[in-house]
Amino acid sequence: MKNYDSIRHTRGESLFVDDIASPEGTLFGYVFYSSVAHGKILNLDFSNAWYVDGIKGIFSAKDIPGENQIGGIVRDENLFAEDTVHFIGHPIALVVAETFLQAHEAVKKIKCEFEKLPAVFDPREAAAKDQLIVKPRIFSLGNVDDAWNSCDYVFEGSAESGGQEHLYLETQASLAFPIEGGGIKIISSTQGPTTVQRTAAQVLALPMHKIEVDVIRLGGGFGGKEDQATPWAVMAALAALKLNAPVKLILPRQEDIRITGKRHPYSSDFKIGLTKDGKIIAYEATYYQNAGAAADLSPAILDRTLFHCTNSYFIPNVKATALSCRTNLTPFTAFRGFGGPQGMFVIESAIHKAAQKMGVDPSVIQKKNLLNEGDEFPYGQKTLNCHIKKCYEEVETRYNPKEIYQRIAEFNEKNKLVKKGAAIIPVTFGISFTTTFLNQASALVHLYTDGSVSVSSAAIEMGQGVNEKLRMIAANELSISIERIKIESTNTSRASNTSATAASKGTDLNGFAVIDACKILIERLRKVASEELKQTNPEKIEFKNEIVFHAGEKTGLTFSKLVKAAYSKRISLTAQAHHSTPNIYFDTKVNKGEPFAYHTYGTAIVEVTLDCLRGIYKVDSVKVVHDFGETINRTIDLSQAEGGIVQGIGWMTCEELKWNNEGKLLTDSLSTYKVPDIYAVPKEIKIHFLENVPNPFGPNKSKAIGEPPFMYGIGAYFALVNAMKAFNPNLDLNYSAPLTPEKVLLTLYNKRQIGRE
Amino acid sequence: MEVRFKLNGKEEEVTTEPYLRLIDLLRDYFNLTGTKEGCGVGECGACTVLMNGRAVNSCLVLAAQANDSEIVTIEGIAEGEVLSSLQKNFLTYGAVQCGFCTPGMVLSASALLDQNPNPTEEEIKDAIAGNLCRCTGYKQIIEAVKETAKETIE
Ligand code: FES
Ligand code: FES
Repeated sequence: MKNYDSIRHTRGESLFVDDIASPEGTLFGYVFYSSVAHGKILNLDFSNAWYVDGIKGIFSAKDIPGENQIGGIVRDENLFAEDTVHFIGHPIALVVAETFLQAHEAVKKIKCEFEKLPAVFDPREAAAKDQLIVKPRIFSLGNVDDAWNSCDYVFEGSAESGGQEHLYLETQASLAFPIEGGGIKIISSTQGPTTVQRTAAQVLALPMHKIEVDVIRLGGGFGGKEDQATPWAVMAALAALKLNAPVKLILPRQEDIRITGKRHPYSSDFKIGLTKDGKIIAYEATYYQNAGAAADLSPAILDRTLFHCTNSYFIPNVKATALSCRTNLTPFTAFRGFGGPQGMFVIESAIHKAAQKMGVDPSVIQKKNLLNEGDEFPYGQKTLNCHIKKCYEEVETRYNPKEIYQRIAEFNEKNKLVKKGAAIIPVTFGISFTTTFLNQASALVHLYTDGSVSVSSAAIEMGQGVNEKLRMIAANELSISIERIKIESTNTSRASNTSATAASKGTDLNGFAVIDACKILIERLRKVASEELKQTNPEKIEFKNEIVFHAGEKTGLTFSKLVKAAYSKRISLTAQAHHSTPNIYFDTKVNKGEPFAYHTYGTAIVEVTLDCLRGIYKVDSVKVVHDFGETINRTIDLSQAEGGIVQGIGWMTCEELKWNNEGKLLTDSLSTYKVPDIYAVPKEIKIHFLENVPNPFGPNKSKAIGEPPFMYGIGAYFALVNAMKAFNPNLDLNYSAPLTPEKVLLTLYNKRQIGRE
Repeated sequence: MEVRFKLNGKEEEVTTEPYLRLIDLLRDYFNLTGTKEGCGVGECGACTVLMNGRAVNSCLVLAAQANDSEIVTIEGIAEGEVLSSLQKNFLTYGAVQCGFCTPGMVLSASALLDQNPNPTEEEIKDAIAGNLCRCTGYKQIIEAVKETAKETIE
């Protein structure tokens, strides 16, 4: 089954924001931003910019009719800087001209003087200065302080994980134009149309109904367009309103990398206590999240780090403290996994360290502590339908890690300069927005008199295949051919008050809403059918493959005839449904509750080969057993999983963000920021769908798939570390990702330790 | 300046500015928006088109350089409604997610298969090494190209 949009993709016919035929007279925007990480704006001089041909407008904070505020969770972020700038890339003005080149030219002519203020880039330093975005968050279970004494071993350490640039292939893009009645329509490449709508309304001082946001599809999102598509869309809207003309704002790649947020870098400390046989009794961790200059989604991401601080393990005594630290870097934001991967990396580092010291393989400790049915997470929820052990054991039977370790040991014995390593990584990921109220969605289904069907929902298609999945769900529910069904663009006038398509929840939430809307229509059609068939009991009517059955007997009535009949009888052929995930809650005062509808489980074993002369390496294989529930679409789920794995490996290995001492991003192009290219792909990726695991909490028994596989990438890190250990057993490493070839090499020869310098 | 070239099989003649890039000419003048801009500096491959049968980054080629050449864009790959076997295999193997890299990928792979109908896996990788994909993990793309080669050989 192929992705609905993909036929047009291969033909080059699918439209992204920049491909939409621009209305006559469309103008182009370019953002002028701060070149210092922290400073006072002394003098802002646009005069030379106004001499550039084709210039139409320059907009800054003082031109905003409403509030100069775009912060969602915390109101701490201006659309345009007022008198102080807080990071390099902090937008100061938007220049609009007849062409893109003219707008760019004018930006270069803007003069801005700053008085530099002290800047902080390190999250620990920020924490020491009490620069916190929100109060520290603490999740706890049992009592760690009492537990240390009963441990045979206690180990401490630190772990660092770097940020990650989203590098969606389509950069941030929006097109805004005035519509009748003083409103603005915005076509945006956003995961959160309502966020754009709400923020634009607030900035432009218009009611939300005057802002219409439409999203066709995204050329990749990965979280980078959940909150951070908003400023550009709002700027375009502001200019469109002021100039009464269509305005397009597309960020050029380098600007996009420089000024938009990325995955949060984390610096963390851990302490782990175990019994002699590897049972973890206590775990304590402190996470310093580098939030950047504004809150953005950081507090929610911080929470997810805590939700996943024990990954797939039951630990009776846990204390996890997380600090969101304000620094002078671009506000960091959502990225696949949403803080979860950062939390998991720390516990896996702790386990690895403990295993090293205890002289066992980390898998021994992992296995001893895997979650059982009914075990409690530090946030109070208990596991239900817990499949982590099944996945782990299935990895053992299918892929035979013992044999792999054996083979690797023999290889390493024979080869001096090339070493292999392997690591197992279990993943348990909670599914739902942990901000409970966001777990809602709506769908609007129209049946037209010719039998074609239109489905609108709050879901955004960004390559994850949600459109195709919704189409399959609707076809299944209505029992009609999938060809009849079209998925509409996501539009705030058809789906109101949407939650962003994020948290892997797009298909779950919207799928259920589509099911509910279809059920309403089916109910109505049943009635019409029983009237048409002169029957009295609509309950006896069934639909199968476009045919109406009565009491199990095929009738001459078809779906299309029935729709026409319903119309003649003046029966509504439109249904709208709203879905909200039942039974979830989370009390942020005590940090306990049932925040997740369910968890998804899986385990991977990763193998790498390391060239110890050059520091370069290759991921040989990633072999996975994953719990997909009952997959709605195998091809889509498989390719989501594979893509996630490669992105996760990228985060752990080659993708390194570097800033200079002034807070300027040095890795601001595709040639300096390395995402996995075709040569970086693991030679082998095997993914086994765990069998017979229907998920009672997912649409058609399926499970969410967007984020969880990303975390298998963590396995690549530890496989590499193990290969390094094989070369240099005395390596004393701190845990620090990404493990770039450069870092590998320096560490192998003890030139510099991995970790914070 | 005058540029005369064959575009997707049709003779075209246009007047362009000397600074205009081929990608701009294709997108803005001919409305062939299947050619995508992912970086503008030759690092992502989203803007790939075929120029005299070779895959080139149209963001690095001036429109004027297209003079006398034969250009094929993604819109010229299918025969009307009928997809090429490479396009079909992209679908079958799930080589398409967000689709932004897809046109470039298809064109780079087409150029390869035209010149070398039976490529090795390494040759496939070399041919699409200049095309970045952030969604798929590439495996499926390699498989789609391999399968197409297999079908053509058979
Ligand atoms: S846009 Fe031409 S290579 Fe990226
Ligand atoms: S499919 Fe999204 S970049 Fe390749």
